[in-house]
Amino acid sequence: MVNVFKGILIKCDPVMKQFLLHLDDTMKLGSKFVLVDLDECHLFVQPEVYNSLKNLIDEQYEKVYYNQKSSLE
Amino acid sequence: MNLQDYLKSLSKDTLDRLYKHPATCLAVFRELPELSRQFILRFLFVNKSIHQVLLASWIPQHDPGRDLGDITTEHRQGTQVLVDMCIWQEVKDHQGNPAITLSNSFRQNLKVAMLGGGQPWTMSSSLDVDPHQRDVEFLDKYAMDRWESVLQFLVQPGRGQTTTAISRDAMRTLLHAGLIESNDEPPDNMQITSAGFQFLLLDTASQVWFFILKYLETVTERGLSLVACLTFLFKLSFSTLGKDYSMEGMDNELLTFLQHLREFGLVYLRKRSSGRFYPTRLALNITAGQNKGSSDVPKHGNLVIETNFRVYAYTTSELQIALLAIFCDIEGRFPNMVVASITRTSVRQALLKGIGAEQIVSFLRQHCHPQMFKQSNAVPRTVADQIKLWENERERLEFTEGVLYKDFMSIHDFSLLSNFASSKGVLIYSDEKQRTMVVTKKGHPAIKMFWKEAQSK
Repeated sequence: MVNVFKGILIKCDPVMKQFLLHLDDTMKLGSKFVLVDLDECHLFVQPEVYNSLKNLIDEQYEKVYYNQKSSLE
Repeated sequence: MNLQDYLKSLSKDTLDRLYKHPATCLAVFRELPELSRQFILRFLFVNKSIHQVLLASWIPQHDPGRDLGDITTEHRQGTQVLVDMCIWQEVKDHQGNPAITLSNSFRQNLKVAMLGGGQPWTMSSSLDVDPHQRDVEFLDKYAMDRWESVLQFLVQPGRGQTTTAISRDAMRTLLHAGLIESNDEPPDNMQITSAGFQFLLLDTASQVWFFILKYLETVTERGLSLVACLTFLFKLSFSTLGKDYSMEGMDNELLTFLQHLREFGLVYLRKRSSGRFYPTRLALNITAGQNKGSSDVPKHGNLVIETNFRVYAYTTSELQIALLAIFCDIEGRFPNMVVASITRTSVRQALLKGIGAEQIVSFLRQHCHPQMFKQSNAVPRTVADQIKLWENERERLEFTEGVLYKDFMSIHDFSLLSNFASSKGVLIYSDEKQRTMVVTKKGHPAIKMFWKEAQSK
């Protein structure tokens, strides 16, 4: 028997993958979205989360980024 | 999209009518790959159709230092172009074998272009001397002024209404091209789109070409004939800079077209009634499209970029400053210069608008002060690399839509399917140990069919 899922394959570095798993565990997007944990650098996720995931990552990244100019002002 | 791609997109009928003129034939001929030109020349004086077999014998069987496969591919591309552009027609000879003939009108008119004869095919120049003769310098300035007013409008479409003289027609083309958008009807509150921003950062030749392409898409709506306009454009591209041409013998349609070209700065008319026009450099470059870049357009770069991400722009042009402000923080304005800095935030703003790092860097390179070219890289390495890094950090995740297969009963099934998928080129992930594989969404139907067939055996 073969199981078939539709979704999105995400390729990233191991650190980002852990972060994504963390988002999944804490249900940051409202629900679980990781379908299959493939290997160190690959995840298979639900197709609906594409946009919200992208925005969330972007937001998070801006939060932790050290902005030299704004910190001087 | 270059000239070739554009011509390929036209219908056979339109192309046939285009080839009725030597100027277009020659212009098309010039743009073809070398091998295709060679083919045409071999065909030019042969009036009979030529067998595919003979054609195949032109492919050299051995050529030291080159791969046979490469040669065959090159030949195939060379012939495909000709077929796509309806220069070659595939026919059957009387025995029913596949053969090829050169399009009749193309043959005749290319002969005229190369050997002379027939009607005079450049535009007629006026006989008497123009009392208001214009020199090349004036024409260059005029063309750039006109073109910049179009760009200026793009940068500030809202304000453009009163300040710049850009006509409804040009506006319509911009709207059609998707460079600006408006919510209301009639279009008043206009907004530049992300495509518009990308357009602004192109070099002038590519801009003009893109703009003309979009304009040509709308000519039929304006009641002009596409073939007449294209033929005229090709004729223009063979004209001489700084020479005046007579408007005599042009019908109303072409005169309207000429007025539009005048507005974008492709031709110069002193007065509508003067009966003569001057083509400008923009028009001469047009059929070169993107291939030849802006090498002919005189450059007045005025940016000095330092390794500390400071940019000094020695300009008073509102347009230049507005363009710079797309991806720089303007820090200070002085009577003859502007100081700006490239920061992560400012580049991020541009990236969010859909502008790529590559575009920003090439814009900087194009507008560098001549002094900057004394270094090996006009744009400092650190700056160019950092802009690219800023782009990359927004793309730490790579998304591919796909379909995942897992829980295969046997390793045999798994390798059967994964081998098939990779032979189709749709396999994007496979792990033998876990017996899991992912194929692209597009490839899924084919895989499904294959799997069902394999199961039923």
